[in-house]
This record gives sequence, structure tokens and C-alpha cells, in this order.
Amino acid sequence: MLRVSAITTETEIDLQGVNGNEQAAAVGIEFGGELMRFAESVARRDNHALPVSRQALLDAAGPAVLVDAAGVAANFQRMVRIADSIGIPVDDMTTDIGQQVRQDLDLQRFASAQNSLQPS
Amino acid sequence: MQSFQYADSPFPIRADICDEHRAFWLRLAQPGSWWSGATRVAIAQESRNALECEYCRARKQALSPYTHEGEHSHGGDLPHLAVDAVHRIITDQSRITRKYVDDNAAAGLSKEQYVELVGIVVATFSIDEFHRALGLALEPLPQPMAGDISRYRPAMLSEDIGFVPTVPPEGNVGNEADLWPGGRSPNVVRALTLVPDALRDWRALGGAQYLSFQSMQNFVKDEHRAINRMQTELIAGRVSSINECFY
Repeated sequence: MLRVSAITTETEIDLQGVNGNEQAAAVGIEFGGELMRFAESVARRDNHALPVSRQALLDAAGPAVLVDAAGVAANFQRMVRIADSIGIPVDDMTTDIGQQVRQDLDLQRFASAQNSLQPS
Repeated sequence: MQSFQYADSPFPIRADICDEHRAFWLRLAQPGSWWSGATRVAIAQESRNALECEYCRARKQALSPYTHEGEHSHGGDLPHLAVDAVHRIITDQSRITRKYVDDNAAAGLSKEQYVELVGIVVATFSIDEFHRALGLALEPLPQPMAGDISRYRPAMLSEDIGFVPTVPPEGNVGNEADLWPGGRSPNVVRALTLVPDALRDWRALGGAQYLSFQSMQNFVKDEHRAINRMQTELIAGRVSSINECFY
């Protein structure tokens, strides 16, 4: 989705922000570094890092961005639990863009690939 | 008093988020398809208990979830199989297998009950995570409402994906006509469809916290959001990467 959005808006981005590369997260995405760190501390349930990343995002981008970011992060905290609990395979394994993104981000390393990468 | 006032929030919370959190709490308290209102609220409470469960913490470190003996810290209001399923979904979901779900079904936790339980757990957890992300206190759980369960099961089901039956892509007809537009649906949307109301909850909450089905087609910026689509997907991608999730 990030790649598709970047193509749609003709923005140069670096997907490695998704893998935690702070410099990459800031390429083409406003507040990318702050958003990445906030998302990371929510996902890791890191009670030390979370207040720091929350304040940094608030200072940089303001409360409306912080609240929207919290909503998205909270939403995706449940997605892995649905996918793994039900054992669903990921869709459209054969599209060029999907294959390229999976290769760029090395998604094969995930343990849940055993369910997700089965052909549907 | 009305739930989700967000009076303690130092940040203004969007009205649609307040509304959807409140709406889910109301549905949570009501009898569902396979669980009573009281049991649904107990499942939600158990999703919170799981985060403090020492047995879960130790089991997560074990090579196999079946080699570590012990007992969950739990509220005492649910059958053992349901307690374990809730705790697994919260703390060790990547090691849930088809055999685990099948064995539970054979032992009395039906697949319909399991899917409704998954829906309750993930919705409650997601709302709680929203609060935690913003440093807000968790919302007290609602008082359960009395009434009969519906035992509703969709007419059209298939066994082509996952550990449980799901409504097929072309199954959005009749009572399920509202589940998704058109005759195509991603697997993650189909996941909870054995209990269609669980998908309806998933979709309503996702529409407020992330994007509605319609807004997902907008790859630039939803006019009701402060962040654009790239910012949204960077957050989604980073969370999913840490969780080792393809979605």
C-alpha cells in the first residue's frame, strides 16, 4: 500500500522505513522518522520508549497527527492476531508489485509465513 | 454515564473514533451469535488479563507451547479452552495451528465460538492499544445485557482458506450482502465471516481507526484525516513488520 501510494503521488520513498531504518522513513514522508518511532514503540509495547516517541511526534506534528497515528497503529496491532488466529493465506501472491515488495522487505523471514504464503 | 468520553485525554479525539469505540462497547455487552453478553464481556476482560499472565510469559519463551506446564492468570468466568484461546491470541498468536483449532472444536470450543471469541479479543485489544498509545486509562468494560444468542451461521460457507469455514468471495448475498462490495474480497476480510457480525465489528472499527473500505481506494489522502496515505501506510507497515505480519 505504501508503494502504491508513493507511485500514485509520484513521491520517491524508501521502503526500508518499514523495516526500521530511520533515515529511510524520512525520505518523501513528512514526519516519517517520528511516525516510524511512534509506530515501533506501540507495536513493541515498549513502556519506556512510548512516552518519548509520543511526545516527539506531538511536538513535531501536533495532536491531530498523533491521534490519527495512534488509531492506525492500534488497528494494525490486531491484524496479525486475526491473520494468525484464523490461519489465512495472503492474497495475490503473483502480482509484480507484491512480489517486489516482499522481496525488498524480506518478508519470507516471518514465522507466520507458514500460513500466509500458502497459495489461496 | 456514556462510555468513551475521553475527558482525560490531553488531545482531542476524532468524533468518529469516539462513536465507533462506543458502538463496539454496546455490541460487546449484548448477546452475540454464539456467546452471551456476560461471556462476551468476560472474554474482553480476559484479553486484558492475558497481558499480565506469568504463565503466558513463560510459555512464550518455551520451544513449544505444549511443553510448558502451568495455569493462566484468569478471571474465572470462562471455560478453560476459551481462556487459553484468548491468551494465545494476545500473547502467542503465531503458534496457533489448524490442529489447535480442530482439537479445541473436538473438545467443545466450536469453530463458531472460536471465531466470535477472536473478533471480541482483537477489537477489545485494538481499542485498548489506542488508549495505551495515547497514554490514556483503559475504558471500564460495559455491563453485560441479558438475552438469547442467535446461533446464526451464514448459508454459504467454504473451507478454502484458513482453519475455519469462511464466506466465499461470491457469498456477499442475502443476509451477507453488506459484508463487502462486489464479488471479490481479500482473505483478511473473509477471516471472521463464519460470524458475520464479527466482520461488521472489524470493519466499523477499522473504518474509524484506519480507513473505510471506500477510503482504502484513495491512495493520496482521506479528507477526514490529518495524515496522508503514505504516512498511514508507513505506520501500518512498521507495526506489521514488528509483528511479523503480512497485512
